Amino acid sequence: MGAQQREYKKRITSAQGMKKIFKAKEMVAASRIAKAHARVLATTPYADAITRAIGAVATHSGDVDHAFLDQERSETGRAGIVLITADRGMTGSYSHNAIRTAEELANRLIDEGKKPVLYVVGRKGETYYTFRNRPPVQSWAPYSESEIPALGHDIAQRLTDDLQSEDPEIHLDEAYLVGTRFVSRFQQVARATRLVPLEVVDAAEGEGSPQYPLYEFAPDAESVMDELLPRYLESRIVNLLLQSMASEHAATQRAMKTATDNAEQQIRKFTRLANSARQAEITQEISEIVGGADALSGSGRTER
Amino acid sequence: MSTLEVTFVSADRTVWSGQAAQVVVPAADGSMGILPRMQPTLAILDRGAVRIIGEDGEATERDVEGGFVSMDGDVVTIAVDHAARASAN
Repeated sequence: MGAQQREYKKRITSAQGMKKIFKAKEMVAASRIAKAHARVLATTPYADAITRAIGAVATHSGDVDHAFLDQERSETGRAGIVLITADRGMTGSYSHNAIRTAEELANRLIDEGKKPVLYVVGRKGETYYTFRNRPPVQSWAPYSESEIPALGHDIAQRLTDDLQSEDPEIHLDEAYLVGTRFVSRFQQVARATRLVPLEVVDAAEGEGSPQYPLYEFAPDAESVMDELLPRYLESRIVNLLLQSMASEHAATQRAMKTATDNAEQQIRKFTRLANSARQAEITQEISEIVGGADALSGSGRTER
Repeated sequence: MSTLEVTFVSADRTVWSGQAAQVVVPAADGSMGILPRMQPTLAILDRGAVRIIGEDGEATERDVEGGFVSMDGDVVTIAVDHAARASAN
């Protein structure tokens, strides 16, 4: 076998090996999407319940004052951004989209004269910011899929503490959440939402808004609000973490599908090239034989 | 006799849902019993046991830690951070 052919064969084998890996990763991701999505759905009743409760408290006790509801929070001008990214690579544009959304938000905040402060989840986001010498205040990486509720609790705790902190070096005026929403297996959107100050009031204005009953609060509206708001933050964070996880799997699946297709294309291309190299070799050998035979037949006899 | 429509959820799943005759929850200022036709109430929960007594008198009990309960028009929503099967005693 010629050197050229050997080279092509080597490439084909390596592409075949990679294809197997991509295919396996694609299938693993595909099977995890459904599970991750089910976990998102499982948190929905809780999130609904807490949203309704907050709406009820906010609409029926106008005198309730909570630090998180105050629309005019401007003490230090610091705005916290919680960015959710992936731990691993091979997720296509998943992490980049989230990071880009966070960067856009940060730029907008800077234009408004605020100082963005980052809290990052996932190794990809962490390395992005440490590499650019803008280390996040806190990063949670690596994290594991099974510990997302605990992770969400940690983040909510830290955020609540910083929002209520008296220290101007730590205090946050606002908090934003950047993550990837899982719309469907084929569509995931990176989006930034504001957590604090809360926007629960606008929900009650629109038509068709739910009618909240006149509740009796126990012990009283104030302490109910105090208990509910951190839980609301936590439930929002956990929900987005789970959605991001599902999105990550979907993005991985898509990226790996493309990689598998690419490997297949590569294999086809090199098979073609290997075939034509073999054919060229055969042609050359034949012409050599024919040429040699011609030369031999031509040399022996000078005349007929 | 009306019954209570109970939905009992924890942060990551629905623990129990269905019709019940009576619900007892550990409210922050003391244990609170909920019967049909109670006034709308929103209460914070403390650590303790949630007991749901079904229409057939069968009781379901879970140890919970923090959360809230809302009661309105015979619809009871219990949302807690953690719910564990009550320790057998």
